[in-house]
Amino acid sequence: MKKRALPKSVVFILLVAALAMSLALAGGCKKKAPTPEAATTTPEAISGLPAGLTQDEVVILSHLPDQQIGVEYPIGETIHLGFLCALSGPDAGWGLPGLCGNNIWIDAVNKTGGLLVGGKRYPLEIHAFDDEAIASKALQGARELVLEHDVKFISAIGGDAAKATAPFLTEHKVVYASLVPTDCDPNRPYVVAGGDITPQCNMFNVLIAKMVLPSEEEMGRKLTYALTTQDCIMSRQVGAWEIGAAKAMGFKIVYEEFFGVETTDFAPIITAVMATKPDVISLCEAWPEYQTMMWEQLYLQGYEGVVVQNYADWETNLTKIPAEYAAAQFGIDSFPLMDDPWWGETSWQKSFTNVWNARYGPGAPEDVKRRMTGIDWDHVIWLIPWCIGAQIAGKDTPGEWPSNDAILAALRAQPSFPTVLGPGHMSGKDMFGIDNMIEEPVPMCMFNLEATDKRIVAHLNFEPWYENIKDVVIKEVEKRGQMYYQR
Amino acid sequence: MTSQTLIQTIANAAAVSGMYALIAVGLTLAFGVMQMANLAHGHFFMAGAYTVYALYALNKWPFWLAVAAAVGIGAVIGLAVERGIFRPLRGDVVAGFIATAGLMFVFEVFMGEVWGWGYMRPVPSPYMRAVKFMGASVAFQRVIVIPFAIACIGGLMIFMRWFRLGRALRAVAQDPEAASIQGININRMTALAMAIAGALAGIAGGLMSTIYAVTPALGGHIILPALIVVVVGGMGSIGGVTLASIIMGFVNTFVTTLVDGVTAFMVSVAVMALVLAIRPQGLMGHVVT
Repeated sequence: MKKRALPKSVVFILLVAALAMSLALAGGCKKKAPTPEAATTTPEAISGLPAGLTQDEVVILSHLPDQQIGVEYPIGETIHLGFLCALSGPDAGWGLPGLCGNNIWIDAVNKTGGLLVGGKRYPLEIHAFDDEAIASKALQGARELVLEHDVKFISAIGGDAAKATAPFLTEHKVVYASLVPTDCDPNRPYVVAGGDITPQCNMFNVLIAKMVLPSEEEMGRKLTYALTTQDCIMSRQVGAWEIGAAKAMGFKIVYEEFFGVETTDFAPIITAVMATKPDVISLCEAWPEYQTMMWEQLYLQGYEGVVVQNYADWETNLTKIPAEYAAAQFGIDSFPLMDDPWWGETSWQKSFTNVWNARYGPGAPEDVKRRMTGIDWDHVIWLIPWCIGAQIAGKDTPGEWPSNDAILAALRAQPSFPTVLGPGHMSGKDMFGIDNMIEEPVPMCMFNLEATDKRIVAHLNFEPWYENIKDVVIKEVEKRGQMYYQR
Repeated sequence: MTSQTLIQTIANAAAVSGMYALIAVGLTLAFGVMQMANLAHGHFFMAGAYTVYALYALNKWPFWLAVAAAVGIGAVIGLAVERGIFRPLRGDVVAGFIATAGLMFVFEVFMGEVWGWGYMRPVPSPYMRAVKFMGASVAFQRVIVIPFAIACIGGLMIFMRWFRLGRALRAVAQDPEAASIQGININRMTALAMAIAGALAGIAGGLMSTIYAVTPALGGHIILPALIVVVVGGMGSIGGVTLASIIMGFVNTFVTTLVDGVTAFMVSVAVMALVLAIRPQGLMGHVVT
């Protein structure tokens, strides 16, 4: 027995010694996680980029005021986010690509350990729900996202879906980031918008159209403007602001009709618009699928004026019309491409493009078999400010995730914060009764024959321009019953 | 409405009438022979459209070869559906109705899972030009549907009247039992009817893949106007479908141009209700005794 007991004792002692040594070694190698109060960014605490994080991903996180990449902090609970958009159907082009943008930004945050808020790093997780641009499905999705996943923030398209989900999301105090500030309303304190610059860009469409048209004196008559798009809350509201701007710019409105969302044949619609002989045809908020078919009809029926719209998908449009036609009609819209050379070689936009291409581009691991669009950044544009607000508000609540009230209040208190399109600030009280809209520079695009895609032609400041025309605009919006106090 | 707008609207309506006729003729043929409404007919159309997308848009086959393949695919699907659904359920109209409604979902989910749910699948126009006539301008892609519709309907009428197999089909449509006693193989005839109906849906889907948005929901969009046309024309009547296609094409296009699309749909349904009130068997249908 003694002969057997001796080796056992030796093995036991060796195991204890090895354990003690490994603990000591581990303690010496591992950086001490700072407490919230002790969090610093001293060079001693920085250990280089976290594994897997690229330089481009660091750049796309650069809007965050307090991310302290490379510094370890305690890990908080996962923060769940929702993506409640059309992922199929004619409106999918405004939803699906946005999920790519959100995914790459969220993954970059998670590679740093999570979003640093109040001295903890919170991993982010996104849950998607396809509402097919149907209001009842959007409400079903909102319930699932909130009740099953406890999401605190929802990226969405808005319009009918915003109206359907607002009471439920207000009750649960969940931020709903719509693409259109026309959804903002004092009765919907958690509906935010404006990163997407609609309806500002629709209103600027009028300005750009006027820029390329001959003057009234040359024409010997008033310039004429026609607007047609599908009949939905978003179109009615945005259309009212756009018509207001057109009136303010001196256009005569010759056509303003909304077609059913079930429309499959656009030939008679375009015939009806063209019968009014407009100098400008606005496709306004036409869903991506619809605008392609409308462009086709404009081309086939021989329209020769200026065409403006909120968002153009040229990759698809050019399967139906020649590029020369798109260029001849100017193809004015907004939602620039992040790979537009206008942004410069060293920019947030260029880095976003690089990360997107590495993940979703041709031959990439998740190749989406399409070009990057102007919607790929269009949803993350509000997610980033929400995270900025969380970091600022989190300073007052160390160790806890701040409430959405605190996040929105923190953002409103900032004179300026960075956005994808440039410096922004919270605004909107004038137009929508509540400061839940981000106001930032509005990039305007035209179709460019050489690039066979859109290119930025102007980067405009909305507020001073709007100040000059707002009396006329608001009168027109009121006429159509679309001011927030009329709904 | 100016004269130019009127001519353009007539041209638009003529093109749409051709499209309706080509879609609905297969549906009415299948109904005539089997006395069952194939709700999945719009999804046969969708299968034709996806065939052209896959072969022409993705794999660069010549457009017409891809359309020919769509015809074959449509015929094969028609045969499979006849063998798998209509034959076992023969005589049970309600069961057939429910089964083909279920088949719609199967097709939709299948296409969505294979080709994706997201965007429409863009099928480039092989003829990116318009036909101009008296100031009107209509997409060449729409115009070519008209001769195809005439050829298909005319061919089908000749086949049904002058060919032995066609006459056998008519016999089965009129009285299956009597036809069977005369030695006509009912199974072969229903299979033939469904193959022809599937092929017609395939050619319609293939030709119109460049006109409509090719998505898994396409079949659902197509079947409703097709059913209205078949009901107005008379279930099982090829001549009735032709007449109804022209009426509904013109009604829809004119009301859309003058008012809007929603009103146009309401008027279409009102026309159907009116026809049913006056002639429950449809414009050229026969009363079943």
